[in-house]
Amino acid sequence: MFNAQEIISTIEMVKNEHLDVRAVTLGISLFDCISHDLSVFKKNIRSKIIRNASNLVGMCDEVGEKYGIAVVNKRISISPIALVGAPFSASQMVEIAHTLNDVAREVNIDFLGGFSALVEKGIAPGDRALIDALPEALAQTQRICASVNVASTRSGINMDAVLDISRAIKKAAALSAADDGLACAKLCVFANIPQDMPFMAGAYLGVGEADAVINVGVSGPGVVKKAIERALENSPELDLGQIAEIIKNTACKVTRVGELIGREVAKNLKIRFGVVDLSLAPTPTVGDSIGEIFQALGLTSIGVPGSTAALAMLNDAVKKGGAFASSHVGGLSGAFIPVSEDLNIAEAVAKGYLTIEKLEAMTCVCSVGLDMVPVPGDISEETLAGIIADEMAIGMINNKTTATRIIPVPGKKAGDKVYFGGLLGEATIMNVNHATNKDSFVTRGGRIPAPIHSLKN
Amino acid sequence: MNKIVVTILGKDRPGIIASVSKSLYQMDCNLQNVNQMILQNQFAGFFIIDHPTHLTLEVIRQQLEKDLADQKLHIHADIAETKGNDNHETDEEIFLITTIGPDQKGLVSRFTEIIASYNVNVTKLTAIFKGGDEPTANIMSYQVAITPDTNQAGLFKSLRQKALELGLDISIQHKNIFETINKI
Repeated sequence: MFNAQEIISTIEMVKNEHLDVRAVTLGISLFDCISHDLSVFKKNIRSKIIRNASNLVGMCDEVGEKYGIAVVNKRISISPIALVGAPFSASQMVEIAHTLNDVAREVNIDFLGGFSALVEKGIAPGDRALIDALPEALAQTQRICASVNVASTRSGINMDAVLDISRAIKKAAALSAADDGLACAKLCVFANIPQDMPFMAGAYLGVGEADAVINVGVSGPGVVKKAIERALENSPELDLGQIAEIIKNTACKVTRVGELIGREVAKNLKIRFGVVDLSLAPTPTVGDSIGEIFQALGLTSIGVPGSTAALAMLNDAVKKGGAFASSHVGGLSGAFIPVSEDLNIAEAVAKGYLTIEKLEAMTCVCSVGLDMVPVPGDISEETLAGIIADEMAIGMINNKTTATRIIPVPGKKAGDKVYFGGLLGEATIMNVNHATNKDSFVTRGGRIPAPIHSLKN
Repeated sequence: MNKIVVTILGKDRPGIIASVSKSLYQMDCNLQNVNQMILQNQFAGFFIIDHPTHLTLEVIRQQLEKDLADQKLHIHADIAETKGNDNHETDEEIFLITTIGPDQKGLVSRFTEIIASYNVNVTKLTAIFKGGDEPTANIMSYQVAITPDTNQAGLFKSLRQKALELGLDISIQHKNIFETINKI
């Protein structure tokens, strides 16, 4: 039997500290759906996704109900469409996006990821078609998420792809201007993209994965924040090493919850279990914020000096706790700092504590990167490409995943408010110095070579 | 051979388990399972024992009463119809039903009545009522065994409805979630 304290603390974590399973993502390989005939291909992918996912939402709800832990999002990731749909043109790619959008609606999931291309070393015809299709595909659909891997530690940065993508982002923003450029919120640009990440918008199913696999994304910034606050209330003299230990232990518990739920969903659906991705992913809700953790640690706000060190400690402790809890930790597993999706981070931008330069510095030590960052609508393609290239360089050199999800907001300037709604939140548009410059560096194209893998001192 | 269950009740103090086990040992009885708890200052102990064939239930009970005569304890002994250590069906699922909220008369009665009406067994119950407004000072936690035949949805709905009527916060969760979080 559990003692009263164990029962209360468990219920508190779920009810008041927003412990939930943020995403159960069913990865589905579409390689056996390939056809040169578009109608056959669309029919094949529709039938394969429905066959595997028709019971996903119901099963997640059932298991969530059993354990009293909400599975907030049920999602699907698929093989990169640029690979499985390689024979098709850009307009045909848009048609495929519509088919996927319809299937996602049919199986009642909010996002399907994998409208993706892997172009870190070069752009094949399928990749070209997909990149060209991105603006229309994202603006015309609601549930499709896209990602493009433009860099890796082994291959360097494909600067042609970086520029192409920045053009696609600008075009997607223009096509969804009425929604403040919302289409761009469904597009991530990556360095070292993980093959098994359950979180959107970057989730896709890697080519080395099984035919179908369940990956689980667990969150819990509220739980971590409360754990820190409780510990400091009981022992105000705790040093940072001891606080890191508390974060690690809490992350371990949260990961175990994710694995429990994920394994049961996978078992009931008779699908292989993949990984738990323990990423502290915030929502625009008070008490479910990464930014609030910084304040619990004693900083005025995320963005002030000390923030990078605090984030490094947080990210590392989360990874250590997750790695101890499960042998199958994957995805990103760290801390996200999405600007509009975290109420506290959005406030830090509005109050001037957090700038895009500091945000970039912080991405050196956490998972992901410049995430859900609204920038002025008149930002040039070259400046946008420069920001993306900078972020990719951090990932390439540091042998880690980095990404950008930048939203140029048409017709708005730095300091204006932008509202995306739901989990995507709202924020103040960040200032970008020299946003309209058209520097030639990024237009030279080519590939920035991969870094040396020896002489590391 | 039937086992015997000995129940000891009385005001808690040091030495109760020592006295009982000594008496049983001197009768050459073998302890198979022991469990005890203290509610406020009241001791309750349960001893399931194997006994020599020549000792009857009545002899054991009388000897215990004699050995523990000066301790003002209530002693009860009966034949134990046990199924061994594993007395749970393997297809049972254990859920914890926890209510948190202001103390009221008849809470346990009202919830257990619902649980019983669905023919569900309460395997463990913890109830702490300290009164006052502090929510965590007034907790009931029922561990119940749900079988495949149980109308689980109906039971949970009835319990949630009753909690709503009584102004209590209710959580119904499979026990594995508590093990996952607390038993690392």
